[in-house]
Amino acid sequence: MVRTALSPTKRFGHGPSRYALFVPAATVVAASLLSALPIVSTSGWFPDFGYLALISWRLLRADPWPAWWAAPLGFVNDLFTGYPIGFSIALWSATMLALDLIDRRTMWRDYWIEWMVAAVLIALDEWLQWRVAALGGADLPFTMMLPPLLISICVFPLSAWAVSRMDRWRLGRR
Amino acid sequence: MATARPGWSRRAQYGLFFSFLAVIAGIVIGLILLIISLVSPKDFAGIRGAALDVTGPVASSLHEVTATAEGLVTGAGNYWDAARQNGELRRDNRAMLQRMVEAKAIFQENLQLKAALQLRQHTRDTIAVGRIVGSSFNSPRRFAILSAGAKDGILEGMPVRSPSGLVGRIIDVGQLSSRVLLVSDRSSIVPARLLRLDIPVIAQGRGDGTVDVRPLEVGRNPFKPGDIIITSGTGGLYPPLVPVARVIKLKDDGAIALPLADPSTTSFAIVEPPFEPAAIAETAPAAATAP
Repeated sequence: MVRTALSPTKRFGHGPSRYALFVPAATVVAASLLSALPIVSTSGWFPDFGYLALISWRLLRADPWPAWWAAPLGFVNDLFTGYPIGFSIALWSATMLALDLIDRRTMWRDYWIEWMVAAVLIALDEWLQWRVAALGGADLPFTMMLPPLLISICVFPLSAWAVSRMDRWRLGRR
Repeated sequence: MATARPGWSRRAQYGLFFSFLAVIAGIVIGLILLIISLVSPKDFAGIRGAALDVTGPVASSLHEVTATAEGLVTGAGNYWDAARQNGELRRDNRAMLQRMVEAKAIFQENLQLKAALQLRQHTRDTIAVGRIVGSSFNSPRRFAILSAGAKDGILEGMPVRSPSGLVGRIIDVGQLSSRVLLVSDRSSIVPARLLRLDIPVIAQGRGDGTVDVRPLEVGRNPFKPGDIIITSGTGGLYPPLVPVARVIKLKDDGAIALPLADPSTTSFAIVEPPFEPAAIAETAPAAATAP
């Protein structure tokens, strides 16, 4: 942009943050740690914050982290949220792979398509959680999973907005 | 894995290929770990306990902050409308005094009857007392985090109760905190009985903070709204005579009940030794192979 280059350089030294490479992964870990909040709820209606952060970053950028990082990030999420260990490792790695395949197929993207893709992924996450809970001895009717599913889908734009703000900050664009 | 075609560079092509392999390896490792943790949950007990020790103290300290904030709000609320509350409390106080005298008489009578029957009171000692500082609020399972762990002598499988009723049992233990399987979790089954009629029932969680109660014997539905369910002590894990839930709604083959110990308002939870210590050894494999 010529205009940007000619504008007075008030923003000297505003390059990318020094830890820009690690900020996305760190925010995902921070989102997983939200499950340590002292919320005592008798209905598990809160969204899966770690997964929301993961898909928000991945839908915003194709390379927020090397794809194999999804496995260790999922392991951290499993440990902090109390899911059976291995659940998020497999799901998050599979999500990275699936989104790469989707990236090859889609010709163009807009907010609605991203939200739809996110909704499908969140629904898959909730459905798998329900299946795994059934295998672990907690055989619930699926209607119990609908409120958290709807809440998660509605929260996704918020998470995508927060992640895009974080991305601007990490790259030093004000 | 940024772009589909990395160009003519052999190095970039190999890089793309190996990152695909790494992701697929991640999926396979995840599935294997998931199968292990579903088949034998004990294998990861150590690492789960360590993770609890990381999050437990954070939750405890944040819990103090929210408790203080809530206390300030309710404290201010108490001054509002104080005159009416005062009158109500006086009326309650008079009624209570009367009830207290009655209770004292019953207590005396009870002592005499027990002496006559030569009943020995079964003393239960407390292992540890903790606060409920967190919960699995983003999962279909119902777990709570207790701010006491192996350092206080807690072992896996011990029953947890609060002054108002049964909370659940310990499933993961860290040094500083532990995870409790609440009675409202679907996989929690509590052998209980109906206080009013002394009928054996089963209380199974429904995953949404309530429990399903069903009579053991098929036949007429014995429940009435307001009935109290207490533990029977069958199975040896939960001590007998602990209140579990109150019936709120009838169903065809049983009823839906609300646990008397609400984990969100329970300030202190008490961890007790299992009623029959041999029960822990039996429940561990039973929990692993539960359907």
